[in-house]
Amino acid sequence: MPKLQEMAKKKTAFSSGHRLCAGCPVPIFTKMLTRVTDYDIVVGSATGCLEVASSIFPYSAWNVPWIHTAFENAAATMSGVEAMARVRSKRNGNAKKIKCVAIGGDGGTYDIGIQALSAAMERGHDLLYICYDNGAYMNTGIQRSGATPLGAATTTTPAGQVIAGKQQQRKDLSKIMVAHHIDYVAQASIHDPIDLSEKIKKGIELDGPAFLNILSPCVPGWRINPDMAVESASLAVETCFWPLYEVDSGDYTVNYKPGKKRPVSDWLLTQGRFRHLKDPQWAHLIDEFQSLIDEQWDWLVAQEKKA
Amino acid sequence: MSERVLMCGNKALAEAAILAGCDAYFGYPITPQNEIPAYMSRRMPEEGRVFVQSESELAAISMVFGASATGKRAMTTSSSPGISLMQEGISYLAGAELPAVVVNVMRGGPGLGNIAPSQSDYFQATRGGGHGDYRTIVLAPSTVQEMVDFMPLAFDLADQYTMTVLVLADGILGQMMEPVVLEKKQSKRKLPPKDWALTGANGRKQHIVRSLWLADGRLEEQNRKLQTKYEQVLKNEVLFEDYRLEGAEVVVVAYGVAARIARSAVDSAREEGIAAGLIRPITLWPFPTERIGKAADKYGLFLAVEMNMGQMVEDVRLAVEGKASVLFHGRSGGGVPAVEDIVGILRQASGSGGGEKGVGKRK
Repeated sequence: MPKLQEMAKKKTAFSSGHRLCAGCPVPIFTKMLTRVTDYDIVVGSATGCLEVASSIFPYSAWNVPWIHTAFENAAATMSGVEAMARVRSKRNGNAKKIKCVAIGGDGGTYDIGIQALSAAMERGHDLLYICYDNGAYMNTGIQRSGATPLGAATTTTPAGQVIAGKQQQRKDLSKIMVAHHIDYVAQASIHDPIDLSEKIKKGIELDGPAFLNILSPCVPGWRINPDMAVESASLAVETCFWPLYEVDSGDYTVNYKPGKKRPVSDWLLTQGRFRHLKDPQWAHLIDEFQSLIDEQWDWLVAQEKKA
Repeated sequence: MSERVLMCGNKALAEAAILAGCDAYFGYPITPQNEIPAYMSRRMPEEGRVFVQSESELAAISMVFGASATGKRAMTTSSSPGISLMQEGISYLAGAELPAVVVNVMRGGPGLGNIAPSQSDYFQATRGGGHGDYRTIVLAPSTVQEMVDFMPLAFDLADQYTMTVLVLADGILGQMMEPVVLEKKQSKRKLPPKDWALTGANGRKQHIVRSLWLADGRLEEQNRKLQTKYEQVLKNEVLFEDYRLEGAEVVVVAYGVAARIARSAVDSAREEGIAAGLIRPITLWPFPTERIGKAADKYGLFLAVEMNMGQMVEDVRLAVEGKASVLFHGRSGGGVPAVEDIVGILRQASGSGGGEKGVGKRK
């Protein structure tokens, strides 16, 4: 693995001039796509912030071939691209191998796109699917998704006197992907570029389906300051809300274990979307949140021990 | 609540749906109608009613199917690409004869298009949209007040004819703010009892709601039954508005936001001495075919103005049956017709051999 300084000198897949929000950490991983590997890559996006902000006609922020169709089908579209790339190499033995990457937000991955994602992984396309999870439909104005954490206020789960934001806990998509028995599933975070770049490299270069779930804080959606995205992601990992781990051919490795696990309130209460939880009447929600995290963390560490 | 309040179209429509007795709202995020689910997520629980954000438009319309089957008033809203995804469910609603209200706040297409206002889903809306032999009633508001007024009408029509009613708005109407009066009105229609509703068959004969008819000839029989119902709609439910048709040389036909612009163009043309008038279809299906056909007996020239590349103009041509000439002016992909452009066409057309029949040219 090249050092970050060396990586930064390589040509990036994603140029400046895109229209993502100030402080949006998404480009941290899109810039890495070509820097971590020597393969030629094709990127397909689901409808979402990244897609809209990188492709406002007649401009494109992509320095690699890029394709978009609709919201629910990035994995299906890239299945088609990958199948054609595979046939191309078969017919023309000298053709340089092309690697495929699909990227969707949590709305386009956890919710509307899960059918296409599940099928693409099950069929075994040589495809890395990256979900950048910012915990809601941010592109359309912060509506709840299957990835929105318990208690978060969104425009469709408003926090009021009676209901404290989202009533359900988020679904664990990474676990669902592990259940597909694919070669590689990992969770990463935009605040840890070394871990992140290694996982992207692995996902792209292995010969088969891979899934990478990247925590990517959203400045307007989380109601944090534009300089807070990296810190907020770091806190999510320090509190074990977002464990960094990978499942390589079924074997679990927890890539980072905080020396002292911080209470989840440290992460929650620095974000405007959880501001209402400061009200003592919702103290039990924070406790519930904490126990969900503890339970999931213990489960995860136990999986690693089994391996 | 009868005082005038200033509201954006999307929010006003949402509150009007609540006043119209909407029991359940199901929706999925898409611009430019996100104010509707956001508003409903707060208001429906306050009213003790149902709000669910679905995981896709396909799910939202299926939730409407499920809720409507229980005999409750259910609705969903979306915008063009999302409405395309709903077509399967709308076809099933038609097949099962379930009432539903679907609002399309249209944006530019095809494909992802853009999020600017458009009227390019006219074909999809007025021809059924999904697979099979069916129709949906299509209401086309042209003001925020009409978005409000058409909600009780939409639910009534849906219940009366057990079919889907589409409210075809667009990004301008959804986003713009206008003063509106929100009032709960008593329905004047005699609505049939929902004696088909799935409410639990304990103590009564089972109800069957379905769209699968496999026995030889049975589907044709069902489709004829649907057709009979649609003929009643065609006969009874046509809505349109005539504007300044007296002595018209050119009759503009436009609906929704385009009709507002057309109205201004007609006024400007009249000031210049050009005799222009407007027929505004309010129901797009049933289309005011008879009205326009009769107008074609009297007026020699029609101009269809739309925010698409020419869709309703086909219905205008069908309605005039060759008795008059039909011109078209359209803007697409977020383009909005300009008053000056329409007046320019009217100016040119008024001297081109149209005119009120039997009266002759003015110039």
